[in-house]
Amino acid sequence: MTISLAVPDILVARAKSGDLEALEALYRAFETPVYNLALRMLRRSEDAEDVLQETFLEVVRSIRQYRGEGHLWGWVRQITVSKTLMRIRRGQLRDTEELHEEYTQGGSGLGVGGVPARIDLERAFERLTPTSRAVVWLHDVEGYTHEEIAERMERTVSFSKSQLARAHARLRRLLAEEGAAQ
Amino acid sequence: MMHCTMDDLLALRAGEASAWARQHADACASCRAELEALYQRVAQLKALPVHRPARDRWPTVRDVVLAERRRRRERWGVRSVAAAAAVAALIVFRPFWTGQVAGAELARIKQQSATLEQQLQRYEPDGRVTSGREAAVASALEDRIAVIDGELTRIGRPDVGVDPAELVKLWQQRVDLMQQLVSVRLTRAAYVGL
Repeated sequence: MTISLAVPDILVARAKSGDLEALEALYRAFETPVYNLALRMLRRSEDAEDVLQETFLEVVRSIRQYRGEGHLWGWVRQITVSKTLMRIRRGQLRDTEELHEEYTQGGSGLGVGGVPARIDLERAFERLTPTSRAVVWLHDVEGYTHEEIAERMERTVSFSKSQLARAHARLRRLLAEEGAAQ
Repeated sequence: MMHCTMDDLLALRAGEASAWARQHADACASCRAELEALYQRVAQLKALPVHRPARDRWPTVRDVVLAERRRRRERWGVRSVAAAAAVAALIVFRPFWTGQVAGAELARIKQQSATLEQQLQRYEPDGRVTSGREAAVASALEDRIAVIDGELTRIGRPDVGVDPAELVKLWQQRVDLMQQLVSVRLTRAAYVGL
């Protein structure tokens, strides 16, 4: 997902002064990218909405500390990633088995009525573990380095690298299985 | 024949592959196809559709923020009352000091402080727009006033000896800071529509 969000300086200044209209304008500007970033890593919309809420509570509470260095989205994104990874670390995710059961219905890859249950990349990605999804998304889509991921996940660089390799191997396998089933 | 592992492919993509992996990928059509598939997967991930949240979470965020602001203002009021009570206790329980303290001077400063408090209470920060710099100045002033309130509360304890001149000085500092705060809050702030 490419983000190009320019926020006027005057809006940021008003938000820093605590003006609620300005803060809501920032929320409206960033709610979709924040939600999508969290959704890709957490998979469940309810979890992503919770992160959206937690992120903006943090934004409102801390915006006075935002020094204006770099794009505001970069600062908001850091908060979003932090909240999302914290949720993954604490296992605060809603039931993750539901989708797996959904995928295995029909056993041979056939869904209701004998229609092939097509698993595209988006759905295959959702079948990864939350940690793998987070590593793939942060590294391949958001452009984080393994060092940055390791720091934010409180793990090692080799952990990040091995998670990325395993995740891609699994994606390749899932897509190949689906291709063979069709 | 040994082919590139996923680690090798990722290293090739990052430009960090071993000499063996680079040479092998150059010669092996299968591994080149795997590398191309890796690029394709990542390109497709970047192009996944954008979703919108089903529910609007802003009302919840706003309500929490407003509740926190109310609590902060209440704490601010309690601190002011506590400071005033501390000085009142000094006057009541330590009458021998009151003779030395310029009572009229202290009363005058306290009245000034009370007036400024009333002005600030009439101010409605939620409906105001100030610049980020003014907000930071106001925050710093509030912090300094809180420090003085803490000191006034501390010297109000029976076990703490107090220099009457110090008491007047602290109250005067408090009034000076309050005047600056009122200036920031009321004089410079303005109702501005976005």
